[in-house]
Amino acid sequence: MDNLNEVCRRKKITKIIEEETGGKSYRAHKYSLDSDRSTLEYSEQEDMSFSWKKRGETDPPASYKSLEKQSRFLAARDEQVLTYFLDGSRHVYKVDDMAYAQSGGRSVIYPTIAGQVGVGICKRQDKRISSEDLTREIVISIPNIADPNGKGGFFEALSNKLNDSSELSRIKQCGWKFTTPIPYDVKADERKFEDRGTARIQDAMIEREKEMVKKLVRRGKLNQDNYLVKDGSLEYRLTKNDGDDDKSFQTFKQNYNWVIGLSKSFNPESCFDKGKANPGYIADLPLYHRTPVAYFGSDKEPLAFAVWYVRIRSKDRTRTPFDGILKVEKILVRDEELKDGIDTDTVDRLSALVINERNPTCYGADTRWANHIYPIYLTERFVKSQYLSADSFLHLF
Amino acid sequence: MNPQKLIGRVLATEKNPTTIDEFYFWTNVETKLNAFDIVRVERDGSDTYGVIESISHITDATSFLTNFISSDFGDVGVIEPTFRVGMNFAKAKVSYNTKGDYTPVHNNSKVSLATQEQITFALGLDKVENPVVCGALKMYEGTGDEVTLPVNVNSKFLLGSEGAHLNISGISGLAAKTSYAMFLMKSIQDAYALKNDDEDSIAFVLFNVKGRDLMAIDCPSDDLNENEKNEYRNLKLSCDPFSKVKYYIPYFDQTSQKYSSYLSRSDVDSYVQSGKLKKFKYVYCDDKESIEMMFANVDDPNQTMEAIVSKIIDESDSDFKGLKTWGEFLETVSANSQKGSSGSKGEISVLSWRKFKRIVNKAIKNDDMFAQRVEFEKSECRLSDELKHIKKNEVHVIDIAKLPEDKQAFVFGDAVKTIYNLKLGEYDNEHNVTPPSRIVVFIDELNKYASNDVPKSSPILRQILDVTERGRSLGVILFGAEQFRSAIHKRVTGNCA
Repeated sequence: MDNLNEVCRRKKITKIIEEETGGKSYRAHKYSLDSDRSTLEYSEQEDMSFSWKKRGETDPPASYKSLEKQSRFLAARDEQVLTYFLDGSRHVYKVDDMAYAQSGGRSVIYPTIAGQVGVGICKRQDKRISSEDLTREIVISIPNIADPNGKGGFFEALSNKLNDSSELSRIKQCGWKFTTPIPYDVKADERKFEDRGTARIQDAMIEREKEMVKKLVRRGKLNQDNYLVKDGSLEYRLTKNDGDDDKSFQTFKQNYNWVIGLSKSFNPESCFDKGKANPGYIADLPLYHRTPVAYFGSDKEPLAFAVWYVRIRSKDRTRTPFDGILKVEKILVRDEELKDGIDTDTVDRLSALVINERNPTCYGADTRWANHIYPIYLTERFVKSQYLSADSFLHLF
Repeated sequence: MNPQKLIGRVLATEKNPTTIDEFYFWTNVETKLNAFDIVRVERDGSDTYGVIESISHITDATSFLTNFISSDFGDVGVIEPTFRVGMNFAKAKVSYNTKGDYTPVHNNSKVSLATQEQITFALGLDKVENPVVCGALKMYEGTGDEVTLPVNVNSKFLLGSEGAHLNISGISGLAAKTSYAMFLMKSIQDAYALKNDDEDSIAFVLFNVKGRDLMAIDCPSDDLNENEKNEYRNLKLSCDPFSKVKYYIPYFDQTSQKYSSYLSRSDVDSYVQSGKLKKFKYVYCDDKESIEMMFANVDDPNQTMEAIVSKIIDESDSDFKGLKTWGEFLETVSANSQKGSSGSKGEISVLSWRKFKRIVNKAIKNDDMFAQRVEFEKSECRLSDELKHIKKNEVHVIDIAKLPEDKQAFVFGDAVKTIYNLKLGEYDNEHNVTPPSRIVVFIDELNKYASNDVPKSSPILRQILDVTERGRSLGVILFGAEQFRSAIHKRVTGNCA
């Protein structure tokens, strides 16, 4: 009986939001926003603010460069610098519709978007993968007009209330917490509110990834013999904090000195060759070859990337010519790199190591096996295994 | 060793639930375990023990194809930078719970190695009454936690009165069957040597059927190293050879070319000098009753051979009464098999007599063993006389290795018959007959005498069946060894441990 009373006394999260924001909850149908949408729309979206500038390496090859010999050499000697693997993921749900009063007695309904965000890092030592770090949080995105005053500090206060809630207490010990709710804008344009909220949660995930990288660097784990491989693109837009002053910008860049990004999927249209988009050039990339490195920079932001492509699986064995190709990115950090591009030997070595990651595969367990590398796949499985089930998550609201 | 060495956790899934009599648990890939190792699972307030039945290794590869593709579609030389995630899981049969709680063990329960005391306890080895060491058990072999413990058997189940007889089968050439039988008998001899109880005493009769296998069991072994000696000590067994051993070999004339033992002549001489070897002879007037044993493997559907044998041992038979030697016997048989010979052949046809003659001639003629009389002062003897006088803790080894099969059967049958009669009390009124309460008869290659193919009328089979079915109560225990258990008459194996 006591248990039942306790359950009844628990206040649902939507109730707290309703009370705190002064909206009116419609207790709408709760559902996942992940299933029917391609992740490409959010996660792998090319940021057009960066564009092709020039060749991005010290000794650019004329065309494709074979790394088969080098990769076999490195494999035989068990040489390895790819030690850490990072993967972030999120599950986003629409959990409520909330009405906020407008002038003239009207009210407008905005969806409440909530997501589970998890970022995990795994470490490879003696060919065995073990977990290194993990964060898990619940991120809520509500319209910015939920804050009636707009003076700041409102969402922080709301997050305190949410973290004190009795609903959370039962999963708190597993490390779950609410982050500060992120408002999405409500200006009128063609984008759906759900997508705006999802995009903000995606942003939150990227921020979390950056924090994890920072933490790893601070603990002195990354160096020339221990690289971090991040799943997905590194083409971050600098946030306000990163670009704040020169010092934090330098810190940001330093953090990424020993990090490479590996993208499973990419927009073929943004594959550049000699300044022009040339998807065919990438599609024809022979097995165990890499493309020359391209230097991507931005007029608006002081960041530059080295980008190249590596084919790890034969075209005959995959569904499309772009399967089996990985896009490799590295943020250019040192001054000489920004000037002359990345050292060709480093590119060859990293590419050869990426080629060696082709085995083992996750064939049968993941349809993207041709583009997945096994340590990242395991990291992803690890992070996803730590999620709350959709039912348990939706019951919070 | 660490008594709490944790090696894994119990797994219970919809597909593979834990049940009253089995459970699964995972272990690290590096953890070394063997089938039949015992593990301990903690429960609330009690411990459940399980015997490992099988160990499996799995990875996250969903099919064989995954692994094939992971080698660049079949490149055998590929070196992977990451090991596939894998684990071992073992299936264990529940053997015991300390509080009799056999509800299934819970998911994620701790699984650890057991200590020596716990293993003894789990297998119920601590409660064996009348213990006789029958072997040793090694657990966690090849790991730092290796445990060796002696295994005892209740001698009442091995030697009577609760159960008796032992049958060992296995493939040839591993030196395991005979050696194990020796080990067990040595252990029994050690155990009984300590007793001084005439009501509960034992003696052994061994048949040597191969080379000189059993012809030196009273000599200490030279190849026992310190480790092995330690193992014996741990089992509380002595490393000494058998004591009170007497050897019997078929008699042969010193001048004769025929030589009926694999023992070298010099060994025979030295054995004779130390008084532990005698040569046995068969004398017609004392041993004619055993003639039937020569027909153990002869098909006799009309029982004519049997009829002849009973005619021979009939004291009032007109032809055979009063015969004293094998020579006279053979002559009489010859006479009977003459065409149209007179005499009381009556219902027995000449053809049967000829068959009989063929068989006994082959066996008896030109064999020194079948002699006129025994010269006791020359270390000669009659086997059944010796067996009659077997004393407690004695080991009699009868060498029949070099005899042809029909005569092996003859000697064996005669000896078993004597032992059986001895225990039946037929010789009780003779002088100096004090049989021990139990006599163990060990015969290698039991299939020669008690196989499914032996004619049903075989007198030896009859003897063996008598021993296995009624010997337990009399105190005659059969230890047999052979390659295939299935070859042995099921009325024999049915009574064996």
